[in-house]
Amino acid sequence: MEALGHLLQGFAAALTPAYLLYAFAGCMLGTLIGVLPGLGPAAGTAILIPLTFSLDATGAIIMLCAIYYGAMYGGTITSVLINVPGEAASVVTCIDGHQMAKQGRAGSALGIAAIGSFVGGTLATVALVAVAMPLASLALKFGPAEFFALMVAGLCLVVGLAGNNMQAALLMTVIGLLFAMIGVDPVRGAPRFTFGVEELYDGIGFVPVVMGLFGVAELLLAAEKRQTHMVEAELKSWMPTKAECRQSVGAIGRGTVVGFVLGLIPGVGAIVPTFMAYVLEKRVSKTPERFGKGAIEGVASAETANNAYANASMVPLLALGIPSSPTIAVLMGAFIVNGITPGPFLFKEQPALVWTVIASFFVGNALLLILNLPLVGLWAKLLKIPFSYMCAGVLIFCVIGAYGLKQSLFDVWVMLGFGILGYLLRKLDFPIAPAILALILGPMMERSLRTTLEISGGSFAIFLDRPVALVLLAIPVVVIAFLLFKPRSLAPLRESDIE
Amino acid sequence: MRQGRLVATGAMLAFCLFALWQSLLLSLTDRLGPGPGFFPFWLALIGIVLSLALFVSIWREPQAAAQDASGEEVRILPHGWGAKRWFAIIGLLAAVTIAMEFVGFRIAMLVFNAALVIALGERRWWLIAVFALLGSFGVHYLFTTWLDVLLPTGQFGI
Repeated sequence: MEALGHLLQGFAAALTPAYLLYAFAGCMLGTLIGVLPGLGPAAGTAILIPLTFSLDATGAIIMLCAIYYGAMYGGTITSVLINVPGEAASVVTCIDGHQMAKQGRAGSALGIAAIGSFVGGTLATVALVAVAMPLASLALKFGPAEFFALMVAGLCLVVGLAGNNMQAALLMTVIGLLFAMIGVDPVRGAPRFTFGVEELYDGIGFVPVVMGLFGVAELLLAAEKRQTHMVEAELKSWMPTKAECRQSVGAIGRGTVVGFVLGLIPGVGAIVPTFMAYVLEKRVSKTPERFGKGAIEGVASAETANNAYANASMVPLLALGIPSSPTIAVLMGAFIVNGITPGPFLFKEQPALVWTVIASFFVGNALLLILNLPLVGLWAKLLKIPFSYMCAGVLIFCVIGAYGLKQSLFDVWVMLGFGILGYLLRKLDFPIAPAILALILGPMMERSLRTTLEISGGSFAIFLDRPVALVLLAIPVVVIAFLLFKPRSLAPLRESDIE
Repeated sequence: MRQGRLVATGAMLAFCLFALWQSLLLSLTDRLGPGPGFFPFWLALIGIVLSLALFVSIWREPQAAAQDASGEEVRILPHGWGAKRWFAIIGLLAAVTIAMEFVGFRIAMLVFNAALVIALGERRWWLIAVFALLGSFGVHYLFTTWLDVLLPTGQFGI
């Protein structure tokens, strides 16, 4: 009941013209970024951070969250129209969505995707309202030992779910944590790894790093490839028929549940819920042979799960301060840049901000539906923008974003360096997500561990005396051990599994 | 690919060894508990173990050419037609970063935008000019006047 009261106050703030405008702009820009092939939600959110520099903290977060779920939807458009997923989570949508486009039903596919995204996102936000506050209240009882264990668990789950590349993911986590050590020691104030370079005293900036690893690296990878040409898909109508809506109801319901539940688990990533929702839909269908040939349930289930996941993944961030994916880590970075530390204290210390942001999720989901149904034709036209202009445009934003926060050209060099590093790591199949998460969690992890050890007089036995910390530390050990020694029959989902 | 992964893992091993050495120059513990070198020391140590383990594991892998989804061989460094575009982006980005300090955001970006789109294949001069102007003077106006973001001003005051 308390949550409902806060939420209503949040709505009162979120519906003010300024915040409505930020949500609207965020949805538009997010969809635009999502439409451009190769630029996913993480890159999009990172690239557009400079637009929020002059906004107040609540406005900045509202806009960046809107960019995030706008980008999640934007990826659908390219999946359906040209069979190129705008972001990884839209891979599954290509299977039936593009088939529908070939049959002249692109409008129906995009329409049901918008409706499914709206329903999935809205229901997941309702569940977020119900879950986040009790979870945050529970986390308020945590001491530094529990917080350290929680962050270790979150990081290890991300590593554990990295698939066959777990050793490399573990190493990338450590490298990310070591980069986070650069700057002034958070406990004693001593400079570390700064080598007399003044710009390093504040540490390596998170914004230039993510802009490099996501924005610049993505462009460098895209620059090597010949561009795909737009396939003119017929957009007769953007509303699905009554029969198509009836067919999709169950898929949307199941997609919401799958997306929400998996969104609560750090490290799952957006692609797994969409795959699982699609596989589930195919299993429960009386006509599974239609899947892969333009079944609207395939599009509805994947897109609903995608947006339910996007909204549910805000729960670990807002309630526990744990980012569950690279995009959420970028959002967490934006919170920190604006002087806000996500986590259980957020609900206690800044309820007005957190509930306004949560209310804006509902507003943003509604705006996305209103925007996307009639504007599908316009988004489709954006696919014709040549790579040269897209690349230059994105780089302008990257330079401004890296420079603008501290007015430092050193940060532009950092962005360029991390861009090349990100390109090489992608080529060599080293996962970047664990390093990003480690970079943002590193200072907090160190502070928690050192405070814990100061309390215990330097003894690690304190973790044995704290059952919650012990259980949290046991979770990643069990998950990683299971994944290392799992039977072959439990191999990760592959695209071939759903064909 | 295998060779590239070995080199990358070796570089990470070197990075962890360097971090270990640097952390040993800081105090690991003090009278209040763990010191500034404590966390990086243990991280570097874990990093060394992990990079060695990964190095051995990659070393044991059979040498096979990696392929992408379209069946083409994955090359680590850009090659041929793509390499020109790749180096154009890197080179121009480095050049604009240096130039901004001397000529300011507007002039540096004007030249950067025009040069980049030409390097990436655009040949319509009027479009290049419009884009370069909008992407430099237009963007500068948007960010400094509307969004209160400070951008570099050069030695000529623009």
